Amino acid sequence: QHQWPPPSHHNDDDDHVPAEDEDTGAQVAPIVKLEEVAVSTGEEEEDPILDLKANLYRFDNEGNEWKERGGGNVKLLKHKVSGKVRLVMRQSKTLSRSAPIILEHSGNEKSCVWHASDFADGELKDELFCIRFPSVENCKAFMKTMQEVAESQGEEEENKDASAAAGLLKKLTVGEDKLEDKEPPEKATDTNVKGEQDV
Amino acid sequence: MALPNQQTVDYPSFKLVIVGDGGTGKTTFVKRHLTGEFEKKYEPTIGVEVHPLDFFTNCGKIRFYCWDTAGQEKFGGLRDGYYIHGQCAIIMFDVTARLTYKNVPTWHRDLCRVCENIPIVLCGNKVDVKNRQVKAKQVTFHRKKNLQYYEISAKSNYNFEKPFLYLARKLAGDANLHFVESPALAPPEVQIDLAAQQQHEAELLAAASQPLPDDDDDQFE
Repeated sequence: QHQWPPPSHHNDDDDHVPAEDEDTGAQVAPIVKLEEVAVSTGEEEEDPILDLKANLYRFDNEGNEWKERGGGNVKLLKHKVSGKVRLVMRQSKTLSRSAPIILEHSGNEKSCVWHASDFADGELKDELFCIRFPSVENCKAFMKTMQEVAESQGEEEENKDASAAAGLLKKLTVGEDKLEDKEPPEKATDTNVKGEQDV
Repeated sequence: MALPNQQTVDYPSFKLVIVGDGGTGKTTFVKRHLTGEFEKKYEPTIGVEVHPLDFFTNCGKIRFYCWDTAGQEKFGGLRDGYYIHGQCAIIMFDVTARLTYKNVPTWHRDLCRVCENIPIVLCGNKVDVKNRQVKAKQVTFHRKKNLQYYEISAKSNYNFEKPFLYLARKLAGDANLHFVESPALAPPEVQIDLAAQQQHEAELLAAASQPLPDDDDDQFE
């Protein structure tokens, strides 16, 4: 059983470590003058539909091994207008972004593997990713949400509920305007929850 | 201020010199920030490797040009020639190797000969290891020489942002400066066809059979 949040680093000499914000450095003259600026995260037009802590890995083809990509909060964000969903992860503490676009995934108890287009560095790269969660429950929540997203983005999903059908027609219109090639829901479903990952 | 051999960017940038004995984790620390990877193999740095490292703060974007220098004498190249025009520095030692702390005064002396009155952070790395040789209370050099000290672990990411945050605050003269979310730009549309999807699935199955890096399950921050 894993403890959450993780225990802080135990240090026998904790009481001798300088206080967090104690400054023992020399007084130096600053060399730049920076003004406060408005912060834009790029997420302002999106609603978070999932927000969990996780560790992210990227598959390195040359070394044929998984490499750490980052640890922090992973969010599934749904655009308020287009309805598209993307995954954004930010490295804990520095808040740098390290996030791919979800296309398809498979997984096992605590981790999930998927192929994605990665836009974290401002250019598109095809990558294989693996995400590991602190608990089975969080992994299930992630995969369930992923599956729901994949299904809802399917082109020919049938739904007899009138209001849902109206929403679906709206999405189809948007989809047609974007001239997107979409996979039928059967294939979209096939790309979810397949294969096993031995951790 | 444009430094030699560095491209100019339209936001503040600083030359950060990173020194310390070989094997203390200088390159691994920089790489952890750059790509997120924890590099386990030890490959001695030859001469110097310069990596631009960007952070987003409440006062805009800033860049550190990280001059990751050779720790081993035989690979030193120009040695302290790499320190010229350094605007801030990190001295790294390994808390599991007593000798690397004993050598800190030498690194500090050589650094200060070239760079006068710059902010310097002393880092004790590998504090995730149980059997450390240098206890926190034994680290006193920073108080004698007016350096800031942080215990860090490039492996567990403990305190891994602190050296950069401290230096950024000093260079800007703003104790309230802090890191903020980097803008997550909207990605372009992605088209995927059936052939590519089949290839992806094959790659997925092959990759899924490889083990994840050997980090602890409870390392989540």
